[in-house]
Amino acid sequence: MDLGLFGQYVMNGLMLGMMYALVAVGFTLFFGVLNVINFSHGDVVTVGAFTALATYLGLVALGISSAPTLVVGALLAAVVSMAVLGALIARYLVLPLKSAPSLNTLLLTLMLGTVLHEAIRLFYPRGANPQRFPSLLPTDAYTFGHFTLRLDNVLMLLAGLAVIVAIHLLINKTKIGLAIRAVAQDEETAKIMGINFTFIVLVTFAVGSGLAAFAGVIQGLYYSEINFAMGLLLGVIGFSSAVVGGLGNVYGAIIGGFLFAALQTIGAVALPFASAYKDVFAFGVVILIMAWRPTGLISEKVSERV
Amino acid sequence: MVTGAWRAFIPLLPGVASAAGAAVYLLLLLKVQSQGGIAALLVAGVVAMLAAARFDVMTRVARRVGEHEKAFNVIVVVAVLALAGLLYDDHFALLLVATVIIYVIAALGLNIQFGYAGMLNFAGAAFFGIGCYTAAVLTKNTPVPHLLVLLAGGVMAAAIGSLLILPVLRTRGHYAAVVTIAFGLLFKIFLEVNDALGGPQGLRVAGMQVLGLEFNNNIEIGEDIELAFYVNYIALGLMLLVLAFIFVKRLERSWIGLNLDAVRLDETAAACFGLNLVRWKITAFITGNFLIGLAGALYATMIGFIAPTNFTFGDSLILVSIVLLGGIGNPWGLVVATAILVIVPEKLQAIQEYRFLLFAAMVVLMLLFRPQGILPRPLRTYFPGSPK
Amino acid sequence: MIRPLLIARDLTKRFGGLVAVDGISFELGRGAVVGLIGPNGSGKTTFFNVVTGIYPIDGGAIEFDGNNIANLSPQAVFRAGIARTFQRSRLSLPLSIFDNIMIGNHMRLNQGLWFNLVQRQRFKQEFEINFERARDLVRVFDAPLADRMFEPVGGFPMIDRRRIEICRALISRPKLLLLDEPSAGMTRDETSKLMNDIFEVKDRFEDLTIIIIEHEMGVIERITDRCVVLNFGRKICEGTYQQVAADKLVQEAYLGIQ
Repeated sequence: MDLGLFGQYVMNGLMLGMMYALVAVGFTLFFGVLNVINFSHGDVVTVGAFTALATYLGLVALGISSAPTLVVGALLAAVVSMAVLGALIARYLVLPLKSAPSLNTLLLTLMLGTVLHEAIRLFYPRGANPQRFPSLLPTDAYTFGHFTLRLDNVLMLLAGLAVIVAIHLLINKTKIGLAIRAVAQDEETAKIMGINFTFIVLVTFAVGSGLAAFAGVIQGLYYSEINFAMGLLLGVIGFSSAVVGGLGNVYGAIIGGFLFAALQTIGAVALPFASAYKDVFAFGVVILIMAWRPTGLISEKVSERV
Repeated sequence: MVTGAWRAFIPLLPGVASAAGAAVYLLLLLKVQSQGGIAALLVAGVVAMLAAARFDVMTRVARRVGEHEKAFNVIVVVAVLALAGLLYDDHFALLLVATVIIYVIAALGLNIQFGYAGMLNFAGAAFFGIGCYTAAVLTKNTPVPHLLVLLAGGVMAAAIGSLLILPVLRTRGHYAAVVTIAFGLLFKIFLEVNDALGGPQGLRVAGMQVLGLEFNNNIEIGEDIELAFYVNYIALGLMLLVLAFIFVKRLERSWIGLNLDAVRLDETAAACFGLNLVRWKITAFITGNFLIGLAGALYATMIGFIAPTNFTFGDSLILVSIVLLGGIGNPWGLVVATAILVIVPEKLQAIQEYRFLLFAAMVVLMLLFRPQGILPRPLRTYFPGSPK
Repeated sequence: MIRPLLIARDLTKRFGGLVAVDGISFELGRGAVVGLIGPNGSGKTTFFNVVTGIYPIDGGAIEFDGNNIANLSPQAVFRAGIARTFQRSRLSLPLSIFDNIMIGNHMRLNQGLWFNLVQRQRFKQEFEINFERARDLVRVFDAPLADRMFEPVGGFPMIDRRRIEICRALISRPKLLLLDEPSAGMTRDETSKLMNDIFEVKDRFEDLTIIIIEHEMGVIERITDRCVVLNFGRKICEGTYQQVAADKLVQEAYLGIQ
């Protein structure tokens, strides 16, 4: 395979890995603080993307045409509104079910996700069809031999990495991050130490959902298109990535995300005749990893007290 | 003499009344054509259910019914046959009844996995589809007798299911969830890519043929009466459903059912008392999938044509919704929920498009406010008419 | 010399950097009732969890009835004859008393598909025999309870639940019974009733060996022949209750023993 094509695959793999990592971090944060699997997360990505699109269309209708403003505006709107949505989900749907078996929360959030994407399909204008997402980033391309490097992809990759670094800093260097880690480790002790449990849970869900919105916008910018079902597979991949990395561990989630993207890319390269099978291949490997290391590559937090 | 017979009959009254009431309601629901009429019926139904819940009617009826279980089962079968008889030439209505019967079999399978063993299976539609495609391929290419084709559908679903679940059996519940969700999502893609299985266009399926009797022919009685051919499927489906029902009931009322409950409720404790968790999870998953695949095979022969779009992840979620809404672990709850979730969207055209949204929202509300479902699961009684 | 029933030798269990069980050694004779005491977090429940196979060990050995049981699965440990109760009462609340006890009776019940689904008459016989056994066992603790075998456990007060949990552990006639804080969450009166129950049990099953984790020193004093005291995962003292209560190290560990 020539270098250009190889470079293309690497670039694509990195982009996918970044998106999966962003979603996976959300899953792992939710599991960490509340021991819950929030399966509406993938669909929050979708809602975030559509919110960004709608904001963009609104801003354009108001006469704004400067690309940076549009990007920032759409992104901000998406991230903030999804953060709010995440907090609402936590407050009214997940926290009330805290004492119920965790199965119930998994089911509830899965169904909530269905409500979200069905609502988009039914109520967004022509929601059942894929929607064109504007290219708001500079599309200059630099060619190195056979390999073409697009500026917008580089920008998105850098932005994604910046967000991941920001999350790392948030979790490890701030007071709120400390509180999140405390709650994740031992809820009761954290409460005794004066941490407002509910507030921290809401913050965690808000942060995770904000990340989802960011991932949704990146999806839209990368593929120039979004559709109501985009969150389903993304959610499952994100969750699998979080699981492979070890639920509850933020670094594990990031590694898991890139690992899944790498598997998909390998699958696509190895099976060029049926790209649909790349997902089957990737999931197959993930299932084997789960069978070999049930608690994830970096151990899942031990949550049960015997 | 007459008073003696009456006295024997009175305890059966709640059971007869509920079965008859349900049958009449279904008859109306199936027969009424005007959308307004249907909407009115639905509102009346909801009001009746809320009133029943408010005055605790359901638990009392359930207790009475529980004391005379065998009689009640017979009454229900008679009611269904009577319903089919009354609808004898209404193809669409009979198709709906047959579909409900078949879906209940699949839901019973899902119930063994989820209601009893606590194993989440989000690929119910995919395993149903495996049954369908097995039937399609076998009836088209092989001389295998059709009743065996049904069994084959069940066996295929069970076999593929065990391959899927084996790697994650030793892990916690959410891992099995991921595996089945992924399978449910990828199954449709897998079918579309595979031209051998008809690709996106789908496959035709031959009609059922048992001992020379072609199921797809209407039955003529005398000169004037012609029964729509769906009655054949209703009859066969009902027989299979009765067998499945007995199987599921006996399973629950045995040491095996107890083991499944133990696995679901507390794995650690169950392990400390010697339970082989893997064995029981696999038992639940395999038997559940067998029923789902069996139902799928019958459905394919009845419908005559199957395509990948019938077996999406959303369809799997509908099956899960049936189990959740009906009352986790309660077979009668499943019957009620299946009837509602299958018939209502078909009759109320306005909500056809909205059915995923509506059912998902209903489940969300149910989980928030009444997680036991419409008919909560009663305590285990090892023998009909218990406890001592 | 009669071989001890349970021998722990330098038993060690680590969780990451934390050493929960640190080189514990002791021997347990048949028919003994031994108290395992120590401040919170001293490794008592972890010791139980290691013995019953819930956690693998990181060092040392455990021998039960002449066999090495280190790193066996919980199922295998149960089959060897060790049954337990849990600190956080782990009964299946939606299930009936009878159901819960039958979970403990697992080994004696025929688990075959054919037997359970088709041979219903034989199943009924097995059911009735085991129902009698379970009911008799419950009667040892509390006669009125025995009349309510088919009520869900969730509806009963804590003391009844503890009794049912002990019945679940005893129905399989184990050689060794591990009781993890049976009096937790109970009033003085209830604790005293439970102690009487345990005495009754000891009378009935003479060669039953018991290790009991407790914080209620009154219970320990009354019931046990011997105590083992843990602190920070290490055994710091062993002897009768009186000997142990007088020990300086033990007093320090508890910072004001009652």
